[in-house]
Amino acid sequence: MIKKQLLSALVASVCAAGAGFVQAGAITDQMIADDAKTPGDVLSWGMGTEGQRYSTLTQVNTKTVKDLVPVWSLSFGGEKQRGQESQPVIADGTMFVTASYSRLYAIETKTGKEKWKYEHRLPDGIMPCCDVINRGAALFDNLVIFGTLDAQLVALDRETGKVVWKKKVDDFQAGYSLSAAPIIAKGLLLTGVSGGEFGIVGRVEARDPKTGNMVWSRPTLEGYMGYKYDAEGKPVENGMTGTTNKSWPGDLWKTGGASTWLGGSYNAETGLAYFGTGNPAPWNSHLRPGDNLYSCSTLAIDVSTGQIVWHYQNTPNDGWDFDGVNEFVTFKTKDGRILGGKADRNGFFYVNDAKTGKLVNAFPFVKQITWASGIDLATGRPKFNDKNRPGDPSKTTDGKKGESVFSAPSFLGGKNQMPMAYSPDTGLFYVPANEWGMEIWNEPISYKKGAAYLGAGFTIKTINDDYIGALRAVDPMTGKIVWEAKNNAPLWGGVLTTKGGLVFYGTPEGLLKAMDAKTGKELWSFQVGTGIVAPPVTWEEGGVQYVAIVSGWGGAVPLWGGDVAKRVNMLNQGGSVWVFKLHKS
Amino acid sequence: MRALVFSLTFILAGTAHAAPPPPDPFGSGLWPDVHAEFLGREPVVFDDRVKVVAPAFAEDPMAVPVSVDASALGAVSRVVVLVDRNPIRKVLEFFPQAARPVLAFRFKLQQGSPVRAAARTADGVWHLGGTWVDGSGGGCTLPGGTRSDGSWVRTLGQVQGRMFDHGDASRLRVRIMHPMDTGLVSGIPAFYLDELQLRDDAGTAYMRILTFEPVSENPVFSFDLGTRPAGSLHLQGRDNNGNLVAARIDQQKP
Repeated sequence: MIKKQLLSALVASVCAAGAGFVQAGAITDQMIADDAKTPGDVLSWGMGTEGQRYSTLTQVNTKTVKDLVPVWSLSFGGEKQRGQESQPVIADGTMFVTASYSRLYAIETKTGKEKWKYEHRLPDGIMPCCDVINRGAALFDNLVIFGTLDAQLVALDRETGKVVWKKKVDDFQAGYSLSAAPIIAKGLLLTGVSGGEFGIVGRVEARDPKTGNMVWSRPTLEGYMGYKYDAEGKPVENGMTGTTNKSWPGDLWKTGGASTWLGGSYNAETGLAYFGTGNPAPWNSHLRPGDNLYSCSTLAIDVSTGQIVWHYQNTPNDGWDFDGVNEFVTFKTKDGRILGGKADRNGFFYVNDAKTGKLVNAFPFVKQITWASGIDLATGRPKFNDKNRPGDPSKTTDGKKGESVFSAPSFLGGKNQMPMAYSPDTGLFYVPANEWGMEIWNEPISYKKGAAYLGAGFTIKTINDDYIGALRAVDPMTGKIVWEAKNNAPLWGGVLTTKGGLVFYGTPEGLLKAMDAKTGKELWSFQVGTGIVAPPVTWEEGGVQYVAIVSGWGGAVPLWGGDVAKRVNMLNQGGSVWVFKLHKS
Repeated sequence: MRALVFSLTFILAGTAHAAPPPPDPFGSGLWPDVHAEFLGREPVVFDDRVKVVAPAFAEDPMAVPVSVDASALGAVSRVVVLVDRNPIRKVLEFFPQAARPVLAFRFKLQQGSPVRAAARTADGVWHLGGTWVDGSGGGCTLPGGTRSDGSWVRTLGQVQGRMFDHGDASRLRVRIMHPMDTGLVSGIPAFYLDELQLRDDAGTAYMRILTFEPVSENPVFSFDLGTRPAGSLHLQGRDNNGNLVAARIDQQKP
């Protein structure tokens, strides 16, 4: 039996090697693990599984960036011009980019010519909370894999665009959807779920990327059982998440949210995948006394076992929708320690030991924070301002509306879904931050399948007349903000940094900008014709460095914006990919 | 000398390919294009033995019944059904295996058009039969019923089927619930079954069908199975989004 297995393994590897000569390279786990070091492609969300969004390319640099010009632009077409939050992935001369309404385009990088597109047929009843966006696809072997708004995973053949496999993750009618880019770690496809506003059960799932078959599932709510799956696909118990009712009394934890809607990152040295978890449901925190694990946390999961190795909770017993799914980006210090940075919705920037989760540093990256005066580095817990928690409606005479408070940041966060970047050259994180607050009050609520499960009312307020957004260069070790670039509208796109000493990011006003990574001086900008809410990427092909950005205004801000509407309601929609390179005269 | 032979061969081959197809009995100006695009400019004969039966006028342009029967030709490897004046011309193609080269189904008709079936025999010749169907228009560009009421989500991929005897042959009729969106209705992407395979319990393949957008919503297919198969039949398939069809059709109890 062993011999037979060995033989078949040998045959398989020979075939794989043989196929390698014929096909345009199968993408291997090793290639994905090395993505950050190989600027000839972009194989993962985050430009490397650590999510640093840092490129070693230098052709476009602080001196040459002034000559950056467009090469091509491709419109997604149709009437589905909603928010475009996608990061392209690039391999073998083809760019794969997702678009609103669960579409995916394969484009020739040289010419901008569309090779094929896949349009997922969506049911009428999808329930995405915050626009019909998608953040990108994963590449593996001959496949390109992405999640859809009706909570399915679709794997397409990279060459033909034909569906190779498709799996339903969960019931869209209960509020589940998928918006994050999947990641590949240790040969597994890791995904989260969206739907935190509908009382869903957050979880991280690992699948075989070739077949979509389940390998393990790890719920993010204490009390739920985790599972591994045997060869026949039968679930086998793999230990409960946490301890039932330890931090979440009663049975509200069963519909407690803690969704993993931004996906995760992975560090090959620690072997851990890092997934941020969202807010506990409902928003009214008086219904759920306790810390409510594992909401508003970073979870470090051993990819080999599907077990939670450590957790760090950024906002215990959240009462403000500080939906802390924000990406945990690992980096190495000069003395060789592996740390991770997270700019949380709640306004604090956290630095944790990536192996143990121990809090190393925590400091504000926005100017106004009302809910806590700081984070106690010894205990790792926030110093709450109890008066800033929205009141309990059951304590009022009519029981209908709890005491309203003004809170900053707003629930849209000091930072939301837009991913930050880290430069090993400067040692700085580049954080797209927003300064805003909200009036927030609690209301009675009960869970109903497929209905919004908030139990709160709110309105967003601006704080400063001259800006909401601010791109901030943050030193994770000192907590110092080294420079900032203010922006009138809230920032909602991600960031890219390069060895060429540059920081790229886009604004809702439609400008793709390049800044000096050291000083924050603006060196270049280009108007793409609609708002940018997506992260830029760069890669090299045939000796030329390219920069790409997806444009298309939308996302959560126009839906929830309150007072912010004045700063964004003049912005027009779109939906395109833009690619740039240096002009040679 | 060798070079000369090569170039001669080239010219001959080129000439053969450039030969125009025989004139179309319907006089459709689109026929040469249809021949080039779907029949690979291969040899073609118009042949009454390929029977295409459809109403003269499409009462419901979204579900025009048609039956194709190429059994008079004997062995047929492949049959392609084409509608010249549809925005998407290829309706389906089928590969008769243990089943006879006969298939009845419904399709969408955009405007009056020849409806053709081309059956390929072992000698590589396409035998074409057809009929003209008139229509009031719009079959491919109107939304179907299940998408207006949103019910397709609940019924997607469900199969109903029944075997019955018809003369000396056993027939199978199946209905597969699917919206079969053409992609030509604003805001609704193409979403259609693209492959079906019929087998029996023993794994004998009866027919493979490649279906395209113009097949009607909730497609109904009637197969001519020849002698009644023992046991159940299995219909497997998928659509262009990767949704699977997997159904077993049992014998009716007498």
